[in-house]
Amino acid sequence: MAVYPKIAEIIAAALPCEIEKVKPEASLIDDLGAQSIDFLDIIFRIERAFKVKIPRGKIIEEARGDLSAAEFDQRGVVSEAGQVRLKAFLSEVPPERFPAPLKVADIPRLFTTETFCKMVIRQQRATAAAPVSKPA
Amino acid sequence: MNRPSIIDAGLSDGVAIVTGGSRGIGRAIVELLAAAGMDVVLSYRQDAVAAAEVAAAGQGLRITAEPLDVRDAAACTAFVEKVVDRASRVDLLVNNAGVIRDNPLTIIDEEELRVVMETNMTGTFNMARAVAPHMISARHGKIINISSVAAEKGGRGQTNYAASKGAINGFTRSLAVELAPRGITVNAVAPGVIETEMSREVRERAADEVLSRILLRRIGRPVDVAYAVWFLASRYADYITGEILHVDGGFKME
Repeated sequence: MAVYPKIAEIIAAALPCEIEKVKPEASLIDDLGAQSIDFLDIIFRIERAFKVKIPRGKIIEEARGDLSAAEFDQRGVVSEAGQVRLKAFLSEVPPERFPAPLKVADIPRLFTTETFCKMVIRQQRATAAAPVSKPA
Repeated sequence: MNRPSIIDAGLSDGVAIVTGGSRGIGRAIVELLAAAGMDVVLSYRQDAVAAAEVAAAGQGLRITAEPLDVRDAAACTAFVEKVVDRASRVDLLVNNAGVIRDNPLTIIDEEELRVVMETNMTGTFNMARAVAPHMISARHGKIINISSVAAEKGGRGQTNYAASKGAINGFTRSLAVELAPRGITVNAVAPGVIETEMSREVRERAADEVLSRILLRRIGRPVDVAYAVWFLASRYADYITGEILHVDGGFKME
């Protein structure tokens, strides 16, 4: 299944909004008006449509890379090293959208349609690469 | 102007899950919702014979019985997925499954504490967490939790039971806040002393004392509770959420 068209369809259905507004670069919160419950709905629909599991906090955990949680999150604010990791991980988000300072709680404001597409592709690759357990 | 029929509760063809639906209050809820036109899936933990009897007794009604231990979160998710795969939807969840293990606090053992909290409180969490994503996506649904008068009025020997039902009350209010943006209502029904197997010991041990605390001077019937659940499930309660509806004949605190 092609990822982007399905993700756009899911986002349009979940918010709801016109599918024409769901562009790859659209921020779900700032451009499309998504609320926190909408994120829950989108993740649920993505998991069912693509048969992947997306654990809570997955994006931030992956964005951190080799930084520890304490090195990334300094009293609720993303550290400078954390911002570097985050910008590289969320390469689809224009750099000018990253505020300074950036609160950890505000990271979801950066997410775009393309962010979710990349998330699904990563999960699909991780699933495909996972070793298959052999029967006893 | 076409007026909707007062007897059209808006439940026809809806899909309902009722946990602990093989006996007592649960059975009465299952039968009433099925009679109102719902497709009802009841869960039972051990009593397969009683559950099959409920399903078979509803001639012409849509009642299905499936085993489930609500303490098992993964099993709850799988149970709900099975219902949604078959029926494409879930409109109503009634968290009725509950157990009672009464004893004074100083002699309650770990098992009596654990099984009551895990069945009554965690089971309610598990099932609500399993249905919520479906209801959120559908922008529609109702969750009704069966609490107890014990949650607010207390009861000798019921610290574990009352604590579990008090947790359900808090859970009900918080979940109502959380799911309101998607039009999902969450309420609780708090029965008083009802004529069921679960309350038999209390009723036999302290019949006069129990009746003296009830303004309407009678023990409640399972159908009394079922009527309240039916109401909260119906379109007549579409503007009610976060409420605890006491069905207790006017039960007084000692």
